[in-house]
Amino acid sequence: MSALLLLFLAPLFTGSVKWLKARLTHRLGPSPLLEYQNLFKLLGKAWVRPEVGTPLFLLGPVLAFLASMAAASFLPLLPGPHFAGDGFLALYLLNLGRFFQMLAALDAGSAFGAQGSYREGLITVLAEPGTLLALVAAGLLGGEFSLARLPVLDPANALVLVLVLASLALALLAEGARMPVDDPATHLELTMVHEAQLLDHAGPLLALYELASGVKMLFYAALMALLLPGPSFWVFLGMGAAWALALGYLETYGVKLRYLRLPDFLSYNTLFGVLAVLGAVWRF
Amino acid sequence: MTPLVGAALGGLALASLIGLRGPGRLAYPLGFSGVSLAVAGGVGWAEGWGAGAFYLLLLGLAVLGLAPYLPAYLELHPSRAYAFLLPLFVGAMAGVALAPPGYAFLFLWEAMSLLGYLLVALEGAKAVEGAQALFLASRLFGLGLYLAFLGQGRLGQDAVWLGLVLGFGVKAALFPFHGWLPRAHPVAISPVSALLSGAMTKLGLLGLYQAAFWFGPPPLWVGPSLVTLGLAGAVYALVRGLAEEDFKGALAYSSVENLGLMLAALGGYFVTGHPLFRAAFFLHQLTHALFKTHLFLVAGVLGERRLSRLGGLWRQAPGLGAQALWGMAVGAGLPPGPLFLAEWALYLGFSRGGFGLPLGVGALALVGALALFYYVRLFGLAFLGQPRGPASWHLAPGMVLGLRILGGALFLLALWPGLVLGPLGVQVYPNAPLALLLFALAYLLYRRLQALPHRTYSTWDCGHQPLTPRMQPTGLGFSQPVLRLFPFVRLREGEHPHLEEPLQRLLQVIGEAYARLARLVQGLQSGSLHLYLLLQLLTLVLVLGVVLL
Repeated sequence: MSALLLLFLAPLFTGSVKWLKARLTHRLGPSPLLEYQNLFKLLGKAWVRPEVGTPLFLLGPVLAFLASMAAASFLPLLPGPHFAGDGFLALYLLNLGRFFQMLAALDAGSAFGAQGSYREGLITVLAEPGTLLALVAAGLLGGEFSLARLPVLDPANALVLVLVLASLALALLAEGARMPVDDPATHLELTMVHEAQLLDHAGPLLALYELASGVKMLFYAALMALLLPGPSFWVFLGMGAAWALALGYLETYGVKLRYLRLPDFLSYNTLFGVLAVLGAVWRF
Repeated sequence: MTPLVGAALGGLALASLIGLRGPGRLAYPLGFSGVSLAVAGGVGWAEGWGAGAFYLLLLGLAVLGLAPYLPAYLELHPSRAYAFLLPLFVGAMAGVALAPPGYAFLFLWEAMSLLGYLLVALEGAKAVEGAQALFLASRLFGLGLYLAFLGQGRLGQDAVWLGLVLGFGVKAALFPFHGWLPRAHPVAISPVSALLSGAMTKLGLLGLYQAAFWFGPPPLWVGPSLVTLGLAGAVYALVRGLAEEDFKGALAYSSVENLGLMLAALGGYFVTGHPLFRAAFFLHQLTHALFKTHLFLVAGVLGERRLSRLGGLWRQAPGLGAQALWGMAVGAGLPPGPLFLAEWALYLGFSRGGFGLPLGVGALALVGALALFYYVRLFGLAFLGQPRGPASWHLAPGMVLGLRILGGALFLLALWPGLVLGPLGVQVYPNAPLALLLFALAYLLYRRLQALPHRTYSTWDCGHQPLTPRMQPTGLGFSQPVLRLFPFVRLREGEHPHLEEPLQRLLQVIGEAYARLARLVQGLQSGSLHLYLLLQLLTLVLVLGVVLL
């Protein structure tokens, strides 16, 4: 259920960020709803198979999409399945999608896809430990580790949960291929990470990838929404809007980090994660 | 001759499979009839003695996949010795799993080490070095086992367990005693690597687990050090393996990683006693035995194993590509594969336990992300893209059957992990519906996309010159961004990374000293009957003296 909600909202989210970025640079900008139209157009188009391609070329977008949908279905925004330890499964489902996306990028046999692939791998290695540590810290506070039973922010656990939220925010920037880590607007091959992996995918394959990455980004926003007090559905909508605003500003006024500086930036993610766990264990 | 070997191995496998399902008391063909396996009884295989039965299932399944593969493979390596040694080796491993802790155990343990050495050393001069690494390490640290077995009751529990951790830990590739493994496994022929990596290393783990029943509960330091060393070893092995050009070498390092996680699970079990750790421990063992055997058999098909010379294999051998993809997706620890189930149990165990164990989650996540990268590199560079050299692979029908058996077993394990976990009293989440739903939807969507209009065209080349195979990254080029995060693997311009494994130098020094000693003793072998008689007399006096004093 939650997966369908995220799927429905994802184009609106990415569309709004694009619109906001255009407005901030004094351009008229496309309507936020244009993204839906764009997706339908892509879905109706023909696609191109590279000569050296294998079945993986198709499996990449298919599994990237299905895996992020499956991960999103464990979010308790709307009724859905949940059990102890579902957060680990959800994050590893995102990894499943990433695995096939990285492989599909290698499948075309060009330098660019491979470049995008190993850069994505580096970002995963940097971002994953902090994210999982942060979730475990939240789980330790809540007693039972399940996405449906995460604790909400109150004065007693404020410090740990703020660290968790900071860690998840950095994870969203990294996993969503957003500004200091990656630039979604660039098409200069030497700096692309996410986009470089999609270069050879066209039409419906591209549409699946776009949807998958939108859902993935909202997944992280939803994780953060779960930690805030209030009915989680409405908090999530607010959180999505807040992130659209934040990303719009960040990508207009911020710069993309040099690729070699990424470890410095993302090490904060791990640091926050470790501190959050220590805080949860020692109850400070 | 070779079909006979296959039949013999298959028979043993079936016997062990049937044996596991049978009633409480079983006599195995190897003559250790005193061992009672209370499988059907109330005890279950998870308690102490019964773990041997679990090991037989693991060994049996690995051998079952190997049996049809082996005859076709050995036609390429026409050496009679394999036909003789392989069944003995499998028998020795089965024996070790079932033997009670005593002289029979030590004898079989030594026989297994010796046979393993011979199987690796058969591959000629280059292999002897790797075989010696295996043998020396198991000899040197194996002394710990003697310390433990003979010192029981006389020495303190700390000394006994130190011996056990050294003796069994070196077989299980416990960091930093793992150096022999990545040297021995790549040089052996693939079925032997599969058995060494998939089956033999597990005996060290099993020994440590059973030792808690044999020698009493471990002292407090054992659990935390197993967790720390296991996790450190897993991270180390993956990073070091990313600098490996050889397909089989990379698989060997991945074994060190998996064994590290299993040791961490065992350590967690020793610390907290929580059944989740034990579930992760056993499920990981079975899964690793299956998928690593599977992947080593895939590697055996390849004629060229250097990653920077491979590429595009999937299009040349479609069946092999799909098999390898399944094995590697399992190996990368992705859901809904069975390895993920084991890791999931480990995550949940870590996040519940006190004692700073939650920090282990971070290390585990790092291992997970590195493993993902590791297998993308291994599969992507070998099987996808443009071929970088002439294709050389050999796939006989029997080999395909072997791969299918192992791949199928992995699939069944993903659907019904309860078969393994049920007796351990751990419920995992319903993985089967997720797996079936995911596979069915992926299949439908895949067919739908394939039916849409599309055309085949060359990959976009920026409009300059056509793409050449050399534009794809090399094995080291691909892993360089991640390698530079970790200071213990240094890459210099224009040279292959060379890294001494920890303790490798020590082994080398001891090996050389031993060789010198052997040359000295050689002088005694003069052919003089008088000298031999004198030596016998001296030995007799010595033995009598020791016994009487």
